[in-house]
Amino acid sequence: MEIDRRAFIASLGGPAVVAMMDHEAKAEALEHYMEEKLDEMVAQNQSGQPEKFPTVAELEAQIETRPYRRGAGTLFTGQRGQNVKILQPMPPKPTLKDYFELRFAPANHVLQSATRAMKTGMSEEIILACLLHDCVLSLIKPDHGWWGAQLFEPYIPEKSAFAIRYHQTLRFYPDEEAGYEYPDQYYRIFGHDYTPPQYIQDTYKMLKNHKWYMEPRLVTVNDLYAFDPNAKVSIEPFLDIVGRHFKQPKEGLGYDNSPSAHMWRTLARPDNPL
Amino acid sequence: MTKTRTAFLMAIAAAAAIAAQSNGIPGLEMKVTKIERAANASLKDCPPGTNTVNAVAKPGEQFAIVTVAFKVGSTYSPATLKGKRPTALDTADKKYFTPSYFVDPGSVGEFSCTFPFRVAEGTKLKTLNVESAAIDLTGVDK
Repeated sequence: MEIDRRAFIASLGGPAVVAMMDHEAKAEALEHYMEEKLDEMVAQNQSGQPEKFPTVAELEAQIETRPYRRGAGTLFTGQRGQNVKILQPMPPKPTLKDYFELRFAPANHVLQSATRAMKTGMSEEIILACLLHDCVLSLIKPDHGWWGAQLFEPYIPEKSAFAIRYHQTLRFYPDEEAGYEYPDQYYRIFGHDYTPPQYIQDTYKMLKNHKWYMEPRLVTVNDLYAFDPNAKVSIEPFLDIVGRHFKQPKEGLGYDNSPSAHMWRTLARPDNPL
Repeated sequence: MTKTRTAFLMAIAAAAAIAAQSNGIPGLEMKVTKIERAANASLKDCPPGTNTVNAVAKPGEQFAIVTVAFKVGSTYSPATLKGKRPTALDTADKKYFTPSYFVDPGSVGEFSCTFPFRVAEGTKLKTLNVESAAIDLTGVDK
């Protein structure tokens, strides 16, 4: 990727402004990979000094500068400051693959996470959890671990659902022995002085002693918050695993009266006013 | 000079020559080329791939970033290091873990990787362990 560094940073108001921008604001101007490059460039521009991360208070002060809330699912907000686009209709009996292609796309993040899990020899339950762990961000962002687990729970192995539900909690807690470091991206989006709320702390305490601790932990190990934009990924290599572990309802996702069918219908029709 | 003494001296010379270099894994040549200290570290996989997450050291800590050059031979079995990670020992034999994994290490013939270890400031690393191979770092981590 070639970027004219000075021109690009200047176009956003200079390094100081860029350093203060939140994740969503940057995303309006950049794709993920450009954002990553930009952060590196800002750090370089500061004479080799470590990047200055925002505080929780600074991030909170930005709330009323946006016409949307940070927790809105990606289907409900325009990308890069643009208006939202007309979505292709879903087939009458949609499958998981249909949702990947028509609602979760481009899904680079989850596809790269699952690819890495596959390349490092993880179990199929973990690869499936990696593939699905952030799909619910199309619908909603806060507590996405719990929402995501609920969305998929009727259709996937219990271990995979457990991994999806609790990866959100374990993202806040490094585990050197397992190979998970707290990502610098979290200093940017939560603030460098952020403390997880009590319910996350309590969930972490529960997980530390849980026999399935490593299931969500391995999702965090493969959770590539910053990733290679040029990597070519697709759902195809995972279709066998999906076929073995995802119970596709014959009525189609959203029409099987499962406890999460309404969530799938909302993903299918996010433009419905009520 | 007796035959035994000659052999002993030759063994010492050979050991010095392979400091920071190891052939402990069949078909894989590894050589530590440098160790740097930094407040930030990129957690790229090995060989460098899609993972570009970064980590930040806390006050009183730093990352000891060990750069290793790899050369893959025809006898190397990709399964040997798949999903594994190196560990490091400091001079007091304390063990450190790196978050950088071997992902598809047989996919490229020659590559270089960086393995960050979160250590207390000033910690000197003594050994890098890659599965059955132990690489002496004392000559490199000065």
